[in-house]
Amino acid sequence: MKWKAVLPSVLAAMLFAALLLVQTTPAETTPRRIEVTAKRFTFTPGDIALKKGEPVILVLKSADVPHGIRFKELGIETKVGKGQTSELAFTPAKTGTFVGHCSVFCGSDHGAMALTLHVVD
Amino acid sequence: MVRACLTILGVTLLAILAGVFFIDIKAGPPGKAEMGIMNWSKHNILVKNKKQTNPLTDNAAAVTDGKDAFSHYCVACHGLDGQNTGVPFADRMSPPVPSLAGKGVQSYTDGQLKWIIDYGIWPSGMPGSKNTLSDDEIWSIVLYLRHLPQAGSMGEPEMYTH
Repeated sequence: MKWKAVLPSVLAAMLFAALLLVQTTPAETTPRRIEVTAKRFTFTPGDIALKKGEPVILVLKSADVPHGIRFKELGIETKVGKGQTSELAFTPAKTGTFVGHCSVFCGSDHGAMALTLHVVD
Repeated sequence: MVRACLTILGVTLLAILAGVFFIDIKAGPPGKAEMGIMNWSKHNILVKNKKQTNPLTDNAAAVTDGKDAFSHYCVACHGLDGQNTGVPFADRMSPPVPSLAGKGVQSYTDGQLKWIIDYGIWPSGMPGSKNTLSDDEIWSIVLYLRHLPQAGSMGEPEMYTH
């Protein structure tokens, strides 16, 4: 008999917990889009600040020849054709400074063509 | 006094001009002694950075990175295989382009190979490539040099086949 009296309370508690769960689940974040222009032998902007855990899309645009960007430490890369655009979507999982280099040989200063990501909490 | 000075100057200029006419600057194969002295000097004195080690891990992915970087840039003189396959002028340079699989190159340390790619070698056609290639690409090329394929196995560079 006792459980019959307790059952409504248990159900009410479960409903309350479910409601709380729904309310506290974060809404899916829209990735932040950042445009980056690649032109012999620079990326513009050359430094980007990101938040750890915040999804981001780097929109890489080539203003001249084919280029690419590779962040070896993060295991991500995209390439872009002459005058074209490509997207690199990722969510930084660790803080730190990460330097990416052009991954498609583009000429005399190709090796110095770099983009730095500063990932903070 | 002025006349004497002018005479000395004239004679000196004539001597220099005569010397220039007798110097042979045709690109020809260097002699054995010249090669021996240069090789010893490069390995032991001139090429620096003997002790630096390659920061990259020697695995298939890193070697493939090196092969990619090499095939974009170095092939014009060294061929796809690093052994001059298909390079029409390799034997006609002075000194000739060496086989990168040969003892003369392989006996450099990794640090020395990095230094050579960074700064080039004079007198030869080897250019310095610091900033033309990133440090990472250069180290990956050094790895590729330690894993060169069999001579001729990769064909000839496209630029020389049509």
